Formats: sequence, C-alpha cells, structure tokens
Amino acid sequence: MASTFTVLYFASAHTYTGKSEDAVPGPMTIAKLFPYLEEKYPGFRKKVLSSCALSVNLDYVDLVEDAEKEIQNGDEVGIIPPVSSG
Amino acid sequence: MEKFSLGSENLDLRIRIAELEKELAEYRNGAIANGNGHTTHEVDEEEEEEEEVRTPPDHDDKAIRLDLDEFRRYGRQMIMTEVGLDGQLQLKRSKVLLIGAGGLGCPAAAYLAGAGIGTIGIVDHDLVEPSNLHRQIMHTVDRVGHPKVKSIISSLKRINPNPRYIAHYYALTPENSIETLEGYDLVLDCTDSPQTRYMISDACVLLGKPLVSASALRSDGQLVVLNNPPGEGPCYRCVFPRPPPPESVLSCGEGGVLGPVVGAMGVLMSTEALKVLLSKADKKKRRKPAHLSPDIRPVDAKDSPKKEEAPEQQRKFYMTIYSAFSDIPFRTIRMFGKRKTCQACSSAATITKESMKNGSLDYVAFCGGKGSGKYPPLTKDEVISVEEYNKLRENKEGGLLIDVRDDVQFGMCALEESINVPITTILTLPLAPEKDGTDGEDKAPVPIPSWLPRDTSTPIYFICRLGNDSRIAVQRLKRSGLAKGSVIKDIKGGLWEWSRKVDKEFPLY
Repeated sequence: MASTFTVLYFASAHTYTGKSEDAVPGPMTIAKLFPYLEEKYPGFRKKVLSSCALSVNLDYVDLVEDAEKEIQNGDEVGIIPPVSSG
Repeated sequence: MEKFSLGSENLDLRIRIAELEKELAEYRNGAIANGNGHTTHEVDEEEEEEEEVRTPPDHDDKAIRLDLDEFRRYGRQMIMTEVGLDGQLQLKRSKVLLIGAGGLGCPAAAYLAGAGIGTIGIVDHDLVEPSNLHRQIMHTVDRVGHPKVKSIISSLKRINPNPRYIAHYYALTPENSIETLEGYDLVLDCTDSPQTRYMISDACVLLGKPLVSASALRSDGQLVVLNNPPGEGPCYRCVFPRPPPPESVLSCGEGGVLGPVVGAMGVLMSTEALKVLLSKADKKKRRKPAHLSPDIRPVDAKDSPKKEEAPEQQRKFYMTIYSAFSDIPFRTIRMFGKRKTCQACSSAATITKESMKNGSLDYVAFCGGKGSGKYPPLTKDEVISVEEYNKLRENKEGGLLIDVRDDVQFGMCALEESINVPITTILTLPLAPEKDGTDGEDKAPVPIPSWLPRDTSTPIYFICRLGNDSRIAVQRLKRSGLAKGSVIKDIKGGLWEWSRKVDKEFPLY
C-alpha cells in the first residue's frame, strides 16, 4: 500500500504550483489538507484554494460537511478551481 | 464560351431538378401508401419494430410536423433510438438560448443549429476581433469589426436555415436577465466571467430552466449541467459557493486558450443540451431493442415487467473536467445534489426575481469588485507613461526594467535590457510584517531576491502586456518592504501602449 495519496492540480492550481500533482503523506482529514498545502505553497489558500471544489476519488466533497472525512493513502484528490473564461 | 458553359450548367441543373422532383414524388407516394404522410406518427409500445402497422397521424396538440427536407436533413440523427421522430419534433419545438457567441458559443450553436432546434437565441454585445478567429469558428475574416451575434447567425443560417434565430445584441445584466431568459426552455452559459456565471445560474434557478455551463482557459475546460431537472440538480453556487479572488481570474486574452480545447467544451455543451431536450420527448415512444421485448425475454426473468416501469433510479449529477495536456485528459466528478445552504436554490434561498430585476444584487461586488480588487490604484508618483519612460531610456536613465509577463510571452518579444520576473514570482514575495493575519508563526528572515538591486538609487520600472499585472507588481514590491527607499513605478498601458506610441514595430498580441 502506498504511503501517500495523490493531489491533482487543475487549471489555476496547476499554474500556481507549477505542478500537475503532488504525493502527500496520508492519511489526512480533509480539514487538514488546505493548511498543509498552504504551508507548501504560501499564498495558495487565499489566491486559489478558497474558491476550489475538491474531489476524492472522483467524488465531490464538501469542505465543511466532509471536513472530518479521512483521505486514505492511494486516494486521488482533485483540486478544481472554477474556470470562468470561454 | 461563357454562353456555352452557362447553358450546359443550366441543363445540368434542370436535370438535377427533374431527378429530385421524381424522388420527391416517389417519396410522397410511399409515405402516403403507408398511411403515414409526413406528419407525426406513433409506434405503440406493443408493436414490434418490423411490423408495418402504423397508427394514423396524430392530430391532437402537435401543430409541429417535419417537412420532407427535414426528414432528409435530420435522418442520420433521427434513426438513433435516442432521438426518433418524437425526439426530432421535441428539438423543433425547443427554444434554446446561448449566452456568448465566442469560443464556446460558436461550436455549441453550430451543432444545435445543425440538429434542428426550433428557436435559437444568442446574446452577445461584442464585436468580432482578429484575436477571436483562432477559436471562434463561426466568425470569419470579413466580419471583423461586426457584431458577433450578426456574424454567428449568418454562419448558422448557412448550416441550417430552418431554425428561427433571435439576436440579443446587448450585454446580459441582472436587470435584463430574467426578461431575456424567460421565453426559452434551456440556457447555455458560454460567457467568460465569474459574475455572469453566477448571474445566469441564479436567473435559471428563479425561472426553472436547466442550464448547460462550460468554460475553458489555456488547456483546461469544465462542463456541468445545472438545475437539471429544475429544482433538483445543483446550481453554479452549489458547485462553487465562493467566487475566485478577482486577481486570480484570467480571461482568454490574459491567460491564453487553445482553440480546440474551448471548442471541445462547446461541442460537449451541445451534446448535453440535446440530452436535456430529448429527455423531454415522450419516452414511451422510444423503441426498445427487439431482443429485450417481453415475448423474447428469458422465461426466468420474473420481475422484469415491473422493473421496466420502475421509477428512474436516483439522479446522477456530474461535472466533467478536461485537462488537455494531462496524462488522463478527461475526468468526471460525481456530485451531490443541491447544497442545503445555497443562497439561490435551497429552501434557505435569499435571491429573488425582484432582487435581480431591480439590480440590488451586485454580482460584481460578490465577485470581489471590478477594477478595485484586481488592479490596485496607484498614485501619480507610482506611474510613468510610455513616452516619458522612453525619454529616460534614451538618456540611459531607464533604471531596472522588469517585465512581469510569464517566460513564454517574454520569449515571444521583449524590450532590450529588460529582465523577466513573472508576476507569479512577484506574488510570492513575503509581505512586510504588518497587520496581515495569515502568518502567525515565526518565519525565517527572507533572503532578498537576486534580481532586486541592492542600492536604492536604481529606480525600478515594471512593465507587462497591458499594464495590469505591472500595477500589481508595484504594489506588491512596496508591500514586501524589500525595496524601501527605491523609486518603483508602473509603465502605464504596458507593451501594448509601447507599441502604439513609441515603437510601432513592437508586436501587438
């Protein structure tokens, strides 16, 4: 079993981190993910994460309602910022 | 020569007309022989596919019928079980509004027009520009400078003259949105800003219209069907309850976009739109595959007749995200339904038609303000015009010129002696310790970036493409406190102004 889970960065999250994904040591509750990423990429939370949708294994999760849900190692987490152009 | 060729062309045409007339006559005879004419016809559930039995034309409430040329035109999609005659009639009865005639709206409208939607409305207040042409495939070189709504409709008419096209040549506002959307069955959000996305979603919720929403930037796209079925599916606020901070919002002009990426999203929008519309067609009239008909079904499938009629299983809502350069380009995220606390669509909703109509809902403010949040105001001393800066350069007093565009754009064209420090790097500068609440803990002292002059006598000038990011850079460098005492200025209007006023040879893009 992997000792990490994967965080995928889409759209502006990809631009901000300069990466398409990170391996993050888990397990970790959803509530702890954004503070962890903020530490890794200062300013990330305010500039990008604050408006993002979040998915775990292709299921939309709510930051408040699912805050205590645990992300398991091997999971795939998607950071999905709203794209508004067209 | 000319006479001769015209004559022969004339003859060719006459022959072709005669052929077509013959075909038409045969077609009519055949149709009438079947007792079917070219009107609506029903195939009863119990009747098998191969049977010739047809019920007489349906004369009840259906004023809409298909002409012979429509059978020909739409035949390829009508023979699909998902469409059929009822589906096609449903499309013909439908009124669809596309908001935005740009990168999403062009392909979406092309397929919807092609599919035979009865009424297609298009809202857009912009004019066609040369920079649109790489992706906005309904506009052409000869229409540059013309309203996009006119351009798109004239292209759509060439694809299919049958639909009724309605041009809404104005910008959608909270005040006019209810009125504009009211007469349509389905809305496609093909716009390009967070404000309009929230506004259109709210209006659709209030009016009970399903909404197909998509977007694209660079190589990323998103697609989601909202408020579908009305009152059940999530709205835009449910998916993204918090708007993006204004400084992070990029238009295609600012962030760039790959034509086929936005095109793919527009095409997918049209598919979703057709799905929504076809779901309204009478499902009983859909044919089932012959091998699943009750008579042929295996004997041991006891509960099947009941199961067939069982209510639809729980609705699935999903959002598709496209990331063209990713190893896995398409992902589909399953979503829950409405958000319990949603301001627009929950039982706790506060948004009303009145608040939209009277303009008391301020979408610009909700999304963080127009210019104010995005581009900080600068004082006179913090700004220099391109002409003034050019004079300084000629006198070798140009100081340090920092171009804050990204490295790709810097690589396309740049002013001599400028250095490249992308705005994304500038934005990572630490803030001077002050009231900012985010950093509570102790941090190691920050090293001064190598690109910053060590002495305060060298003035620093920021430039970018249009003069927006450079303003942010000025403010951000000042707030970092790393260049205290230095002159820090924004070159107003950026390289665009430079090209217009100083050096006409400098590329505009």
